[in-house]
Order: sequence, then structure tokens, then C-alpha cells
Amino acid sequence: MIEFKNVSKTYATGTEAVHNANFKIEKGDFAFLVGASGSGKSTLIKLILKEEDPTDGSLIINGRDTTFLKPKRVPYLRRSMGVVFQDFRLLPDKTVYENVAFAMNIVKATPKHIRRQVPMVLSLVGLSNKSKVYPHELSGGEQQRVALARALVNNPSMIIADEPTGNLDPDTAWEIMTLLNEINLRGTTIVIATHAKDVVDKMKKRVIEIENGNIVRDDRKGGYSSEI
Amino acid sequence: MIEKVGIVVRFNIISYFLSEGISNVFKNKKSTFACLSVMCATMLMFGLFYAIGENITNVLRQVESEQGMQVFMVREATEADITRLREELRGIDGINDITPVTSEEAFEIMQNRLGDRRHLMAGHEPTMFPFSFIVTLTDLNLNDSVQYQISGLSNVDDITSRNDTINALANIGGWIRAITLIILLILIMISVFIISNTIKLTVHARRKEISIMKYVGATNGFIRTPFIIEGIIIGLLSGLFSIVLVSIGYTLIEGWTAPRISVNTNINVRV
Repeated sequence: MIEFKNVSKTYATGTEAVHNANFKIEKGDFAFLVGASGSGKSTLIKLILKEEDPTDGSLIINGRDTTFLKPKRVPYLRRSMGVVFQDFRLLPDKTVYENVAFAMNIVKATPKHIRRQVPMVLSLVGLSNKSKVYPHELSGGEQQRVALARALVNNPSMIIADEPTGNLDPDTAWEIMTLLNEINLRGTTIVIATHAKDVVDKMKKRVIEIENGNIVRDDRKGGYSSEI
Repeated sequence: MIEKVGIVVRFNIISYFLSEGISNVFKNKKSTFACLSVMCATMLMFGLFYAIGENITNVLRQVESEQGMQVFMVREATEADITRLREELRGIDGINDITPVTSEEAFEIMQNRLGDRRHLMAGHEPTMFPFSFIVTLTDLNLNDSVQYQISGLSNVDDITSRNDTINALANIGGWIRAITLIILLILIMISVFIISNTIKLTVHARRKEISIMKYVGATNGFIRTPFIIEGIIIGLLSGLFSIVLVSIGYTLIEGWTAPRISVNTNINVRV
């Protein structure tokens, strides 16, 4: 699904954010990317999202080498992944329903398909009764659920989440994680960059740790920090 | 079936673009207003300068087309000589118009000009005035060469011309044309700069929306189209406003100035 082959990324400023990364995330995996701020976690996410290009090595997504992907093709690559951010990134002047439908408009879905799909996804994230509400009327956890619904609505093969629980209290964070786990059980690959230690420890999922740009650990059923 | 779905999708997208573009115009009232007024102002300036420039050029062209020379024939020229000279004049490049002035006409003009003292003309015959042609030019810069060519023709006695006026006019005309052109170019550059800046501002104001669209997998064309539609609507509206304003202003100014501007030419009479 996602394969890093000797990937390095050096920014124009000279900082080497990722050094010779090698790992593979299979279809249906649930993986955490952990590491301190500035460890290169965000750069890994940016590489997967094709926001940045690797300076060395090759990055294969869905069986295709994306290293030399033309900028014109990037939108089509992104349609295969749903993205969730720490700050939700909802459109404030659109209702919950419209925020989710917006993602379908972009991929040119038919109105009929939109009318069928949006309520389905909203019920999956437990927000069926809030479809006409605006984002500012929602709690943080609810806003993140909307963002998750938007990420899911086009049936992507994977969800990429960058600190999805960073702005949420522990209980709400756990709810979101449980929801992500449910989505994973339906077959969607999930990659989460986070430094929420307790959540990672509790989930007992795959953990890839990055430190100063190097992948230092890849545990199948790990905790946030390696047991000594 | 597949064809049908394709059409439905395309219609859906077009209606999405249109509704997004139109709703953006009304949603961002402040930026729409700012954009509209700035574009209106530049277009107004542009329109005014264009109108003023065109008018000055037009008046000049009119004055120029009436400038020229008067070609006097020798007194003993016959009817045949006159016809021949006329043909020869027609063959010269740069001549706009040829008006014959007969001896009788010249006599009459002289009488009118003398007014109360026309008794001075008593006892004289119209034949005292030679036959002449008033020749106007297509381009004042050709004045010298035309005069030179005419002076070489037979039966031409003399040529009178207001060389100073012609040279001055040719000069002024060239300058005014150059200046209006430069001003128009500057205005076009300013308009382009302001419009591109306003577009940058609207894009900046909506960068969050744009970044979300990019993450969801929107193509650049898809992101751009509503902006273009918004721009077209604002451009059309401000164009419409400025046309209305300029034409109202122009009619007012025209009504005020037209009776005050007149161009007069006079014909020389020579003995």
C-alpha cells in the first residue's frame, strides 16, 4: 500500500528531515508514526500526501512509484487517501452536511450519489442528527468526526491522520481512536502520526518510531516507547 | 446509459461552478465591493482618457485635413490648361482634396471681404484674379514634397502656404498622439496590476478553503474555475458601470463644449 524505499528528504534549508527510511505499510494495516516534535514525523506524512517530494529513494503508493509523479496527477493520487488534521480544517460557512458533500463535489460525484453517501457516512461517525449544524456549534470531538466523515466519504483505501487527537481531551481522543479502529476493521488502511503516548500504548497497534530523521523502531504490536 | 451519466455529471459540475462563482460574488461583499470599485475607477480613467485622446486626435485630424496650400495659375491659362493641371494634381501622392476657385469666385470673395469699401473694385473685371486650386494634404509631413512637385508643373504661377502653421500642427499632432498612447499604456498596466493584486487577495483570503480542496483531491482547474467565474462576473459588472458612467459623462461634456469649438478656414485671394 505504502512503501518507503531508502527515502531521504533534505529541505532547501539544508536540514535532513528524513534519512534513509525503509518501511512498508500493508493494506488493512493500522500504524502509528511516533516521535518527538521535529523528529521528521510530519515530513513522512507530507511525503505520503505528496506535499513534498523525496530527495532520494522511491516512495510507492498503491503499487505505483510516486517519486516522479507529475503535479497534474497528484489530485488523483490524493483521492485514494482521506486526510485528517489536528485543527479539523472544516469550512466555517458550510454546514456539516455541506462540508462532507463538498468533498464529493470535488471528485465530481452525481447529486444522487451524494444524497445517498453523505447521510451514510454521517451515521457511521455518529453525527446523523447534526447534519444541518455549522462547525462552530460543535465540540472539538464532533468537529473531528465531521473531518473524519469528509475523509471517508469518497471511500479512500487509506486514512492519513496528522495528530488527529492533538486538540482533544483524553476521553474524546479515545473516542476518535475507537472510531478509527472501527473504520480499520472495515478494511481501510490507517496511518496516524501522533505523540499521544497513552493512546498508542492502549491501542497495541503497529508503531513506527522516528528520531532525528531515522526510523529507529518498527514494532508489530508496540507501545509508544520501546520496553527495555 | 454511460453517456447519460456523463452528461448528468457535467451538468452537475457546471451548475456547481456557476453557483459557487455567483455565491462567492455575494458572499464576500466587502472584497467584491472593493474589487468592483477599483476596477470601475481604472476603467473610468481609461475610458475618459481614451475619449479625450480620441477627441483631440479627431479635432487635429480635421484641422490638418483643412490645411494645405493654394496653387495659383498664370493669368493667361486656358480652360484646357486648368483641366490638365487638375489632372496632374490628382496624380500627386499625399493630396487629400482639390477645390478649384474660379476668377469669379475670387472676385466675389474679395468684394465680400472689402465690405463697405467694395466701390474700390468698381471698373475691375473678375479676370484680374487668376484661377487657383485649394489643395489639402493627407499628411502634413508631406507638405514640402507636395509643394516641390507642384512648383515643377507648367502654368503654375505661385503657391501660397502657411508653412509655419502646418509644421507646428504636424508637431503637436505627433506629440499628442504619443502622449495619449503612453497614458493609455500606463493605465492598462495599472489596471492589470490592480486586478491581479485583487485576485491574489481573494485567493489569499480563501487559502484555507483551497488547501482543503487540494487535500481532498481537487484538480487545479476545479479550484480555479469558480474564481474565474467570479472574476468574469465582477469584470462584466464593472465594465457595465463604467460604460454607463463614461457615456453619461461624455454626453454631458459634449453638450457643454461642442458649441464652443469651431474650426474655421479661410481662402486666400491674391491679385
